[in-house]
Amino acid sequence: MKVLVPVKRVIDYNVKVRVKADGSGVDLANVKMSMNPFDEIAVEEAIRLKEKGVATEVVVVSIGVKQAQETLRNALAMGADRAILIEATDNVHVDIEPLAVAKLLAAVVKEEAPGVVLCGKQAIDNDMNATGQMLAALLGWSQATFASEIAIEGDKARVTREVDGGLQTISVKLPSIITVDLRLNEPRYASLPNIMKAKAKPLATKTPADYGVDISPRLSVVKTVEPAGRKAGVKVGSVDELIRKLKDEAGVI
Amino acid sequence: MPDGQPMTESPILSDLQALTRAALPEVEALFATARDGLKAQVSAGGKVSNQALEARQYQAHALAWLATYVEALRQLDAWAGRLTEAGQFGRMEALILQISFGEYLAQIAGGIPMSQTEFARLSDLGLAYTPGPAAARLMAEGNTADARHALVGLMRDNHGRATFGATGLDEDLEMIRDQFRRYSDEKVIPVAHDWHLKDELIPMEVINELAELGVFGLTIPEAYGGLGLSKASMVVVSEELSRGYIGVGSLGTRSEIAAELILCGGTEEQKQKWLPGLASGAILPTAVFTEPNTGSDLGALRTRARKDGDDWIITGNKTWITHAARTHVMTVLARSVEGTTDYRGLSMFLAEKTPGTDETPFVDPGLSGGEIEVLGYRGMKEYTVNFDDFRVKGENLLGQVEGQGFKQLMQTFESARIQTGARAIGVAQAALETGLQYAEDRKQFGRALIEFPRIESKLAMMAVEIMIARQLTYFSAWQKDHDKRCDLEAGMAKLLGARVAWAAADNALQIHGGNGFALEYRISRILCDARILNIFEGAAEIQATVIARRLLE
Repeated sequence: MKVLVPVKRVIDYNVKVRVKADGSGVDLANVKMSMNPFDEIAVEEAIRLKEKGVATEVVVVSIGVKQAQETLRNALAMGADRAILIEATDNVHVDIEPLAVAKLLAAVVKEEAPGVVLCGKQAIDNDMNATGQMLAALLGWSQATFASEIAIEGDKARVTREVDGGLQTISVKLPSIITVDLRLNEPRYASLPNIMKAKAKPLATKTPADYGVDISPRLSVVKTVEPAGRKAGVKVGSVDELIRKLKDEAGVI
Repeated sequence: MPDGQPMTESPILSDLQALTRAALPEVEALFATARDGLKAQVSAGGKVSNQALEARQYQAHALAWLATYVEALRQLDAWAGRLTEAGQFGRMEALILQISFGEYLAQIAGGIPMSQTEFARLSDLGLAYTPGPAAARLMAEGNTADARHALVGLMRDNHGRATFGATGLDEDLEMIRDQFRRYSDEKVIPVAHDWHLKDELIPMEVINELAELGVFGLTIPEAYGGLGLSKASMVVVSEELSRGYIGVGSLGTRSEIAAELILCGGTEEQKQKWLPGLASGAILPTAVFTEPNTGSDLGALRTRARKDGDDWIITGNKTWITHAARTHVMTVLARSVEGTTDYRGLSMFLAEKTPGTDETPFVDPGLSGGEIEVLGYRGMKEYTVNFDDFRVKGENLLGQVEGQGFKQLMQTFESARIQTGARAIGVAQAALETGLQYAEDRKQFGRALIEFPRIESKLAMMAVEIMIARQLTYFSAWQKDHDKRCDLEAGMAKLLGARVAWAAADNALQIHGGNGFALEYRISRILCDARILNIFEGAAEIQATVIARRLLE
């Protein structure tokens, strides 16, 4: 079984995000970019499936700017076998919308015929949480979202999902789209030998036109603003004053 | 600058790279004059006289430091040129270049600190310097308060990036950096301070993880089970691991030195026998050279090795043996040639040792020793080791040849110094990041500390000097990777790197004020760790002598 893992190049989780002066979005010029952490977890899971003998090949795909190559190389260094880069823009500030990404992925799926697509549940940049679900709809495949445990059993996948208030275990028919959550695994570090081997692994470059997909945007960003700064606290003189404030001003007790 | 934004006056000199290019030949000429002058004073019959050189040690060291500064500026200028070609020479890089030239030219003219109280002055070398227009402009307008302010502003926006300023290294090396940086952030930094405070050995789990990541076989050829990677990659890995903890960054050094010894001096059988184990981390080595009475003057050492049938029997006392408890093999330098008193009688042995534990470090017959408690650079622990008729198999004489030990060891110095330069950069980077964080978080007089110019200037100079040390070290590694001699540059990288690391640690602690003096703050450990860099792998004074001797050759 082949496993396909879409990975997105996003602003590094360590970077303090700043809004561009004109409010049109987040400033990404000269900012450290990394693989979306949820996608890293998906790559790790795919490699583990291969190590267990469940998967035969791990293919990673990224859609975005040319620099997403680095992200794909990273996935190859972790242990993926092959990479596809779909160069959809040359502007680092252009975010390809989930529907366009899902359509492109659907086209890739038709070509590659994987048994499972493992996606991060969402990208940490725009937090859309939509691509995996849209892809399932476009393909008419089963979907299991927010996975914290995955077991492939014959032509089914047993997936434990993190839902509000607890865990839910479901069984889905393969092929399936599985989106992964934070607690599924801890991604490995790429070892030096694997970083070197990654250089020799195939990386194919395509364009949306190769797949006949129109990626023109359907959403418009009205405004991007920084979260309001935290207001300064106050010092209370006594426990009585604290209780009074909690009762009267905050209204929490 | 994007259109429509108001132009504020930039602190960056408009013709910066033309200025640095013009200033370089001036200091190069200054150095050549200084070298020729001293050479005339210390030579007798066309050869450098040891006695005369020793009598003028201060001048010789001043020359070594001057040469180090000239080389540093040359490498920084070359770095700027390469970045410009690659379209990576941005504002931060320009400010680093400008402040470096401004400051280092001024120090060349006024006095280069060899230590806190000793300055290399041109007057020591019988020279005076009248800077030409380019150098004079850089000295006057290079390292200004505005430039430092602009640099620190950019540093504050640099969150998430591994270095302040582009390194000029290729993508593969930066990918390696990212992995090891993440490893340090997640697996080392949260726990290293505790290891230090409790004076514990680095957990075997960490050593095993590093082995899996390929740290121990980095530069060992593939034919012997290693990865056959460049010294440049070794530098990047050492930097990032030392940034987490110097002990972790130094684990690889031990394997590196042992492997280099065997590669350069060993027989084919010895390479086959030892290198794969060293590369996989299954064999942990330690270097056994220093004795209680011979540190820098290794040629005079007194531990004896005498023949007994095919075997060798070793007797003597050794000290400053790092990580001795856990190691499987000791590379022991001992005197085997009867009647000799200098380096010519020394041989190198690959003495097998049964790994012990923290509680029982030595279990083999004829081997005993004890821990030396130390200020910093803990994690592997230091030991004295006593050899009392300790038996070494005949096959374990390195190269199967006597009297070559010192020469064999010398061949490893280039790599060891490059690696130590890298460790210094890692420690300095840790100090800078810790100082920067504290300066942003701590508020006094209603402002963050970083808003004060004296705090800002400390942080700016740390970033600038770290980049200088980086480029010197990368250049040495590049030379080594291209089979070019680099003992001189590697020595300079180590000499300057150690000073930079100590200054960074001391200044970062100063930023912490009283809190920096408290053991619970990480910077207190970084200060203790930084102190060793000026001592091991050639103390600063020895390093300066070695550099001077080479310059006068």
